[in-house]
Amino acid sequence: MRPDARRYGPRAALALAATLAIAAPSALPAQTAAVPASRGWAIRNVTIVTVTGPRIERGTVVIRNGRIEAAGAEAAPQPGDSVLDGTGLFVYPGLIDAGSRLGLTEIGSVPGGEDQQELGDLNPQDAALTAVNQNSEVIPVTRSNGVTTAITSPRGGLVSGQAALMDLLGWTPQEMAVRAPAAMVMTYPRTGGGGRFARRAQPGAGDQTNRQVLALKGFLGDAKAYADIKARLAAGAPGSLKMNLGMEAMVPVMRGDEPVIFDVETAEQIRGVLALADSFALKVILRGAHEAWRLADTLAARHVPVIVGPITTGVGPDEPYDEIFANPGVLAKAGVTIAFQTNDAHDSRNLPYNAALAEAYGLSADDALKAVTINAARIFGVADRLGSIEAGKEATLIVTDGDPLDARVGPKYVFIRGQLVPFNDRHTRLYEQFRARPRPRPQP
Amino acid sequence: MNRDQLRDGELRGIAVALISVVAAASLAAQQPASFTMPIPPAAHLVAITNATILTVSHGTIPRGTIVIREGKIAAVGADVAVPAGAQVIDATGRYVMPGIIDEHSHSAAEAVNEFSNSVTAEVRMADVIREDMPTIYWQLAGGVTAVNVLHGSANTIGGQNAVLKLRWGLPVDSLLFEGAPPGIKFALGENVKESNFQPGPGRERRYPATRMGVEEVLRDAFTRAVAYRTEWQQYEAARRAVRRGQAEPMPPRRDLQLDALVEVMDGRRLVHAHCYRADEILMLLRVAHDFGFRVASLEHVLEGYKVADEIAAAGTGASTFADFWGYKLEAYDAIPYNAALMTQHGVAVAINSDDDERARRLYQDAAKTMHYGGVSETDALKMITLNPARMLGVENRVGSIDVGKDADLAIFSGHPFAPASRVEMTLVDGRVFFDRTTAPTLEHLMQQLQEQRQHRPAAAATDKGEQ
Repeated sequence: MRPDARRYGPRAALALAATLAIAAPSALPAQTAAVPASRGWAIRNVTIVTVTGPRIERGTVVIRNGRIEAAGAEAAPQPGDSVLDGTGLFVYPGLIDAGSRLGLTEIGSVPGGEDQQELGDLNPQDAALTAVNQNSEVIPVTRSNGVTTAITSPRGGLVSGQAALMDLLGWTPQEMAVRAPAAMVMTYPRTGGGGRFARRAQPGAGDQTNRQVLALKGFLGDAKAYADIKARLAAGAPGSLKMNLGMEAMVPVMRGDEPVIFDVETAEQIRGVLALADSFALKVILRGAHEAWRLADTLAARHVPVIVGPITTGVGPDEPYDEIFANPGVLAKAGVTIAFQTNDAHDSRNLPYNAALAEAYGLSADDALKAVTINAARIFGVADRLGSIEAGKEATLIVTDGDPLDARVGPKYVFIRGQLVPFNDRHTRLYEQFRARPRPRPQP
Repeated sequence: MNRDQLRDGELRGIAVALISVVAAASLAAQQPASFTMPIPPAAHLVAITNATILTVSHGTIPRGTIVIREGKIAAVGADVAVPAGAQVIDATGRYVMPGIIDEHSHSAAEAVNEFSNSVTAEVRMADVIREDMPTIYWQLAGGVTAVNVLHGSANTIGGQNAVLKLRWGLPVDSLLFEGAPPGIKFALGENVKESNFQPGPGRERRYPATRMGVEEVLRDAFTRAVAYRTEWQQYEAARRAVRRGQAEPMPPRRDLQLDALVEVMDGRRLVHAHCYRADEILMLLRVAHDFGFRVASLEHVLEGYKVADEIAAAGTGASTFADFWGYKLEAYDAIPYNAALMTQHGVAVAINSDDDERARRLYQDAAKTMHYGGVSETDALKMITLNPARMLGVENRVGSIDVGKDADLAIFSGHPFAPASRVEMTLVDGRVFFDRTTAPTLEHLMQQLQEQRQHRPAAAATDKGEQ
């Protein structure tokens, strides 16, 4: 691919002079959307991969007021709409990273930019969206590879705080937010050890795990009591309740309105989570969970979704070499709703290649695509807005020259909420800058 | 993520790395394998048939045959006959590429950093290789057949490397790539300055603490090496001049550290130099020029794109990551176009892993260079085969599918760069060291568990892996 094509899109495809002017380079701040959302767009002669319905060859996608107005063979633009020729190209929904650290870290080794992990074990009141740096250089880099939407999560402790689902475009974190909070993030304690068949934990590690599980149960018990009292007071019972910010944050969780993401690895942890879900009527989402295949039928029957990945992590010495690659396929076949996460900020752009590896080890191409689009939207309750190419949904979509899971190709255009987003990120800027470096001056 | 040692590029978990580098003996993550695989028989006569062959050196053969005799490629082409008596591997619908060479690895090493001094040219990775590390098998399962096991980047002049062939199951000495030229690790920048962690308890900060000091450490070491070489030259001359009846001159004291540096200056030891920033890259090239040696490969070299002409002029290779960035300040200007830009300027580029896990999917990382900067498919393939082979001085043995080369091959289910492809079989010297049909896969484990359940009716109601 020609480098300039990557940055500006195929020039020949930009049919209108007005579009060319808008897509002009330089001086655009990283967060700037080049084109106002009110402008209408028509992407013509394009293969539409709807995800939720059949693939449409040589169709048109019309975008207006931030939404997909129409998508199909019959969709017609209005006069004045900017037209993109999509011949040889494909429209996909924007990819959704169902677990990232975007906005919460800038340079791993520089503490000043680190806002992922609070002190203490129980921090339900901490909201990731609060700390999202909307001007992080990592965000434009990520969306340039087609990841348009991401969960960003705090980490650490037993209750890490509140995750947010956000579009990777906006002048403020609140503008970026799709749903915040999207879920409470917790970690189910794990007894450290050396792999599944040889969990040689340190002496006392089991006791420590038990103490942590007890702490988590105690916390959930408190939260349940707090929510119950609050409900009774609301129903007119006499008495009062002293405001507790942590407990307040847990109220929607205990009511079942807000899901809990449980970061887990092993089957043992998953069983623990399911027991907690039963005890406290929690709506749970498993994340990580490379051993979830052991409980695939149970998870399917209980409609517990699993956010797998990153599957680019090592394996324990006694695990099948491909367990982490094959786990998503086993889950999907059993009927579990799966999505993918990168659990990273800088690596979030590689989300689709996680799905590709899973596809190589048994996940169907259809399920792999769903797992980076509509499934994540469903898991976080925004499937009416995101995750597929359907009329009425937000126009958060990518136009590619191939399968987004194929590392050899990539997006030609990225739209977020109907706005064409230029490929103007830290990496393209440095690329352009040094590509233009003249031959070195001879040294004296 | 790797949990064991301070990797050159891996500072994702700074705190973890800090603890690990101090307690360098910590090997929790690298336990020996509890499984063994049968050792494959020697490959006297093998034929891989009906394969799409990505030769890397001379194009793609759509439906070809590779004949292997005594571990070497004896014939390759579309019209090659299968010799009588050959063991046939039918690769219909599959792709064969040269075994992947990971130019930057710390796999199978029991220790990575001798960090106590800034110059430790005397230590050898070959002394700490373990043949029982399961990562060897997992990397075979990712198509990797050879790795450059480097000393870590904790000090400016690190230890001597060990190039391995992944002959899983054979004794440790059989893993060493026979005939591979010796090499050594250098390192610049934040790691050797100890920028991102505090020294352990009771340990003072070690010189150097700046990039100025890094240059001084290099120049001082090579200045000592020059003097040492002169001492030996004078001794040899004096010895030659001894007449009958005269006393033999006393030889200089042997210095194992300076021996290695003299070998570098004499072109008998390859330098693999960890670096990030453009300024420090230029510094190293100047030092190498002044002391009369060529740097074989710049490692990581994430800002190589800024000084690609200078690197090309020095005849130095560049072994980099596909798109790993932002984990420390000196990785903040890393761009995924680095490999493409350096290639366009005539630099031989390798894509490496520096990581047991990333090594399993280097083919996917190489594919990214086609997207970022428009590298050709052949050039992208070279980045994990022929180019690293050149940097390691083994290009006459491996790196392409050519007659006379070692039969180190990876057989993929589809094109190695296609999203749904996986490694089906990996051969080293024509011997099948990985075969997915007999490998301990999750599918096999699930079948075993299924059979166990059938023999234990009481447990039949439980879930897939439940016992």
